[in-house]
Amino acid sequence: MSFLGGLSLPKTWQGWLTIVLFGFMYGPIMVLGIYSFNDSRRYTSVWQGFSLRWYESLFQDARIFRALQDTLFVAIVAVAISSVLGTLMAIGLCKYYFPGKGIYRGASYLPLIIPDISIAVATLVFLASMAIPLSIWTIVAAHMVFCLAYIAVVVSSRLGSLDPNLEEAALDLGATPTQALIKVLLPQLMPAIVAGCLLAFVLSIDDLLISSFTAGGGANPLPLEIFSRIRNGVKPDMNALSVLLILASGMIAALAEYLRYKSSTLDR
Amino acid sequence: MPRKRSLYLPSSSRRLGSTRRRFLQGSAAAIAGVTLSNCRQNLSNQAAPEADPAATTPEEGGASGGDSGVLHVYTWADYTSDEMVNAFTEKTGIEVIVDIYDSNETMLAKMQAGGGDAYSIIYPSDYMVQQMIELNMLTKIDKERVTGLENIFDKWQDPVYDPGNSFSTPFAWGTTGLLYNTDILTDTPTDWDYLWENSSALSKRMTLLNDVRETMGMVLKSLGYSYNSTNPAEIEEAYERLIEIKPDLASFMSFGYEDGLLSGDLAVVMAYSVDALSSIAEDDTLNYVIPESGSSVWTDTLVIPTTAPNVDAAYEWLNFNLDPAIAQLNTETLFNATPNKVAYENLSDEFKNDEKLFPPEDLLAKCEGIAPVGDAAAVFDEFWTRATSA
Amino acid sequence: MSASLSKSRLQGLGTTIRHRCQQLLGPLALLGPAGIWLLLFLVLPTLLILDISLVPDLRPEDVGGAYGLGNYSRVFNPFDPRFDSVYLQVIWRSVYYATVSTIACLVLGFPVAYWLAIMAPRRWRNFLVVAFILPLWTSSLLRSYAWISILRPTGLLNTFITWLSDLIPGVDLPTQNWLYSSAAVFVGLTYNFLPYMVLILYASLEKLDISLLEAAADLGANPRQTFWKVTVPQTLPGIAAGCLLVFITSMGDFVVPTLLGGASSMTISRLIYNQFLGITRNWGLGSALSMILILAVSLAIALLLKYGDRDSVKEA
Repeated sequence: MSFLGGLSLPKTWQGWLTIVLFGFMYGPIMVLGIYSFNDSRRYTSVWQGFSLRWYESLFQDARIFRALQDTLFVAIVAVAISSVLGTLMAIGLCKYYFPGKGIYRGASYLPLIIPDISIAVATLVFLASMAIPLSIWTIVAAHMVFCLAYIAVVVSSRLGSLDPNLEEAALDLGATPTQALIKVLLPQLMPAIVAGCLLAFVLSIDDLLISSFTAGGGANPLPLEIFSRIRNGVKPDMNALSVLLILASGMIAALAEYLRYKSSTLDR
Repeated sequence: MPRKRSLYLPSSSRRLGSTRRRFLQGSAAAIAGVTLSNCRQNLSNQAAPEADPAATTPEEGGASGGDSGVLHVYTWADYTSDEMVNAFTEKTGIEVIVDIYDSNETMLAKMQAGGGDAYSIIYPSDYMVQQMIELNMLTKIDKERVTGLENIFDKWQDPVYDPGNSFSTPFAWGTTGLLYNTDILTDTPTDWDYLWENSSALSKRMTLLNDVRETMGMVLKSLGYSYNSTNPAEIEEAYERLIEIKPDLASFMSFGYEDGLLSGDLAVVMAYSVDALSSIAEDDTLNYVIPESGSSVWTDTLVIPTTAPNVDAAYEWLNFNLDPAIAQLNTETLFNATPNKVAYENLSDEFKNDEKLFPPEDLLAKCEGIAPVGDAAAVFDEFWTRATSA
Repeated sequence: MSASLSKSRLQGLGTTIRHRCQQLLGPLALLGPAGIWLLLFLVLPTLLILDISLVPDLRPEDVGGAYGLGNYSRVFNPFDPRFDSVYLQVIWRSVYYATVSTIACLVLGFPVAYWLAIMAPRRWRNFLVVAFILPLWTSSLLRSYAWISILRPTGLLNTFITWLSDLIPGVDLPTQNWLYSSAAVFVGLTYNFLPYMVLILYASLEKLDISLLEAAADLGANPRQTFWKVTVPQTLPGIAAGCLLVFITSMGDFVVPTLLGGASSMTISRLIYNQFLGITRNWGLGSALSMILILAVSLAIALLLKYGDRDSVKEA
């Protein structure tokens, strides 16, 4: 009873548990999806019929679009700058030995380890003490910290598996270090850089805490808006929004996984 | 998966002489020390902004915010409507962006943290106005530029929280009480004690406001003390009483309980009259009661913070809201009781006689306004933290 | 003679310096920008938090304040007159939530990772793993929000339970308010972090040498013995790394306890939030709590480094 090319019903309890947990992972998302089409005036678990009204009301919501715009602006700017800084950092850490390298490397891992709330609080106090007024740029600055750390991690792991002879050969053949970097190293790193950027992008879009503490000047990224709406009474168009957002980030994720998969099979 | 290089490769730092290393460490520490003490200084400067509004320059906010044409308003969840905002934009040509907060203290925290620099209008309550004046956070209102103040009831012409309305303009007033679902509750709550008497029957179906002064004050009142008690023993007693029903509370929430109440997830919630009355207007299975032992009666105001980037638009907003027609519209659609005499008189009898909206004088006499409590604020905070954390 | 000597020496020095500068140029260009950024927006702010945490009860409007250990001593020192056991209670609760959800993730995640890595059809493995961790990429805020509509008293779970009790005569399953309870927080945390655990365990189990399992079976070990004596020791680094990751992320999580936990689930991250953007505005205490959180997380990592395998930490 094989279907889907060799995927048959599992014969072991581990297999069944996996199926159940797939349900556990996707169930709540399905629930949001189903409710987003529910034709009810209020937030209810009773099915009242199919309707697209929540999608319609969502598309007329200027606030949501402004928030989405802020989120995308922050994510794109932060990721764009971090992709350069993070990649350079990863290459530098791989190439050079210098006093204090351990500390430097440790610091570059900190954003992955320290809880968001602690980073958020520290950034807020720092900005306040430097009398830097909060604006959309302070969100960008704060997001860059974790974006560049994640990009550097993904790029480092790729660097570790590269053939160092290639770059040396380029140098021997008379290329300047900069040329060698751009012509030889970067193309090899590209899949990892893109995967790292996508990861950082999704993390930036999802971030609530760090944005909450650094947002000002009227900037109001989407997670803040969503959080505020959940706390102040949810309208069912939030379900519609969830579905669209989850679909969008799911697609980015699939792309990133595909790239990572490709880059890792390249070496084999 | 490619192997990562080790995190802990021994670095070549050994090459440096130990004296040199110690020197570097020392100077790094010195630099850090200087920077940190600078920071501390700045922190206190930041917290006490200069009172001169001209000294603070509006900050350009990049993709959004800050731009001079737009008026950023920071207010409570149910204090503006699209209808009203559109009317304002139509009249003045100024675009309005409304952001919301859910308690006076969170608003203050956001402003102090520097996250509120875009806002030209804020809606603090009475006691918060007083506190913000003390913190030099408000701009003195230029009476020349304001019209319609004479329409305000005498009661609000010289309020205790801001004598002579020098920094604030009264916007709305109201009470705090219990909002409940009449389908679920078989009896009618009349007083705060109802929550304690029925706590086990209504377990996890009650909420209280996420607001230190309102909720602690309510418990103080239910014990026969004042909302503004400064006696630590009384506040502690209130805390003890609050944690009696704490396990039966679903949550501390100031807004967002409406769906829960209507679906039956919640039975009774502590609510501001504004939100309670607009919920009732939507669905009459809900009812609101002002507890007979008295509750808080609050006034929310319009103020211009010293950091306001768009003071001209802020004055337009003040004048717009002082317009009796708009004040009347606000009362009719948003259910906040207006302090505007002309607007009140123009209301239909249905509104004027609504005792939930405009409570009778004898009940109001039992209610109290929340006032700053000075040093006791720390005691309130401490017990509130304890109550919410336990 | 001395003049010419010193001149050539100076020249030599000049070349050395120029040479040094060129040597430094590469590392500086590569490591400088990111380093400055991390220093400015991460290291310095964290030091600042450490500094502020040493000023008892610093509020944003306070002008300075004397240094002291007041913020820490009111959390830890029972002899301090301002000591309040509630802070330890909150810290303990955060650790408790993190521990329970870590165990739940391990117990649920291990069989799944095992099946995916060893038993699932080979050509589907990559796809299935990616599909399992895909929800990780979507907004954690919205995924937690989804649980509200399932767990609330008139939500899906209770509707389902009622339906089930009606269906099976004689069985009366109790419905209850799942939302705003510790159970809701456990479910939310496990739901959010299970994919991390599966991902790390999968990576670890994938490397497991199947021939070892076969050898054990050939030598007469029953499946249970093989599991405990071969599989678990072989994947211990992965287990440790997965547990660490789930533990530290759930320890610092803010969204789940806030949205699903209600009145009785104050955790350390919620408490820190409240000191800065919430009601109480005690920056000094908030900074101290933040340092305690960082310390707790570092402690967990240090323990793993000491007793666990370093490679596994890097995997995480």
